[in-house]
Amino acid sequence: MNQIYNDPIGHWVVVVVAMALLLFVVLTATAYTVWFERVALGRIQRRPGPNRVGPFGLMQLAADGIKLAFKESFVPAKTDKIIYVLAPTIGVAAAFLAWTVIPIGLWYNVQYWIADVNVGILVIFAVSSLNVYAIVLGGYASNNKYSLLGGLRSAAQLISYEMALGLSLVPTFMIAGSLRLRDIVEYTVTWGPYHGPIPLILLTPIGFVIYLIAATAETNRTPFDLPEAEQELIGGFLTEYSGLKFTMYYLAEYLNVITVSALATLLFFGGWYLWIVPPIFAFLLKVILFLFLYIWLRGTFPRLRYDMLMRLGWKVLLPLAMANVIVTATILVAVQG
Amino acid sequence: MAIAVFFVAAAMAVIGGIGVISFHQPVRSVLSLVVVMLALSVLFLLLSAQFIFAVQIIVYAGAVMVLFLFVITLLGPARELGRGRLRFQTWLSALFLLVLLGLMWAMLQGVQYRQPDSGVNLSFFGTVQSIAVGLFTTYLYPFELTSILLLVAAIGAIYLSRKRIDDPEGGPAEEGLRPASGMGGNLPPPE
Repeated sequence: MNQIYNDPIGHWVVVVVAMALLLFVVLTATAYTVWFERVALGRIQRRPGPNRVGPFGLMQLAADGIKLAFKESFVPAKTDKIIYVLAPTIGVAAAFLAWTVIPIGLWYNVQYWIADVNVGILVIFAVSSLNVYAIVLGGYASNNKYSLLGGLRSAAQLISYEMALGLSLVPTFMIAGSLRLRDIVEYTVTWGPYHGPIPLILLTPIGFVIYLIAATAETNRTPFDLPEAEQELIGGFLTEYSGLKFTMYYLAEYLNVITVSALATLLFFGGWYLWIVPPIFAFLLKVILFLFLYIWLRGTFPRLRYDMLMRLGWKVLLPLAMANVIVTATILVAVQG
Repeated sequence: MAIAVFFVAAAMAVIGGIGVISFHQPVRSVLSLVVVMLALSVLFLLLSAQFIFAVQIIVYAGAVMVLFLFVITLLGPARELGRGRLRFQTWLSALFLLVLLGLMWAMLQGVQYRQPDSGVNLSFFGTVQSIAVGLFTTYLYPFELTSILLLVAAIGAIYLSRKRIDDPEGGPAEEGLRPASGMGGNLPPPE
């Protein structure tokens, strides 16, 4: 494997094959995340959820996909058609790009990821910061008051919570001494008889809590789904979208949920290390647990009001994250001398 | 390989720059500027400035341009009108273009496409660590002074836009609370 990888042409072949494979895996994972959410939400609300198409309703997503593909591709009158079509495309592209640097596992010296970048986490922030364009432009190009309001709410929300999200991870970087996701996962400690990797949540529990809240807000999930609050804004930026363009927005949203779950796994829960479980299965197990946590949140929490959202972001999470950075830095200097 | 990436990114930057000044809809101009920012970030990456690459996208494409877009969408999709030209606009622009090209020619004399200096350690150059060492040792005072400047600007902006207590009319802050005149209704027919 290493020989192929070090050869200049073989390297490109490996990378292109890996990208195609990743595209397939991530798309399938997204589809089944939607299925998982519908079933889990159904159980939370004491109803069966999808159970008609295929065994356990597993083919429901294929049926939905076909239905959406055959729907009329509606474009509102008097609008900028190029931007209207471009907006969902930006969302999907940004959501997929993050997966170029997310490591899935290290198994028998084979690396299961596309690029091992030493500013990996910054690259993920960079591409996910482009997500906001999909929503703002969608809201603008729909030529609809509710869509515009949804888009603007979303811009304010994403920018506010990006700060807390970024700061919540700084203690992790300071402890691991690197921005490379692999270095963070492989951060090892020697505690008495134990020598090996540990989940970093043990060292930065507050950072994890802030990350969890801010990441939920960044992905526009309940209780922070104000951009598409149906009681006030019909469907927010999604109101005028239908057919495949609507599907693309949904794809991007669920892809982002999987991405933040994978990041939580990598940054706070030791990535692919889990006792004797094989690396990739350990990673998948942890990501699925996080996905369930997000679904659980959606099933149990009511939506925040807009002023509550802003107060939480700027007056609670941001100062807390800042204090967390300062305290962690002080402890690190005290311990390392 | 690197040179091909350079030319693609450079071409994207130039095309985006032309787009910024030639589109009539402000939203398309903003998007062109985003393209310029993304192309510039690729150029930074080619110079092994990995940290600047990421920050360029996060700060400029991800935050600054979003605020531009925010304002433009709030103002409504009004089309810029082709009036208010200067009298000798064409000739003036030709003159300035000639001066600019002359300056560029003078600057680029003797500049060669070159490899990085052999003494530079490329595994450290441009990383987060090397930028941090620069910012917190050699350039600490300029860095801190810039942050004070930004703080002053932020406080000034808040002061100027806040509601005046002694002003019965409510002051300038009211202005921003009124719904924008053209919100979502008066877009011109597409070309």
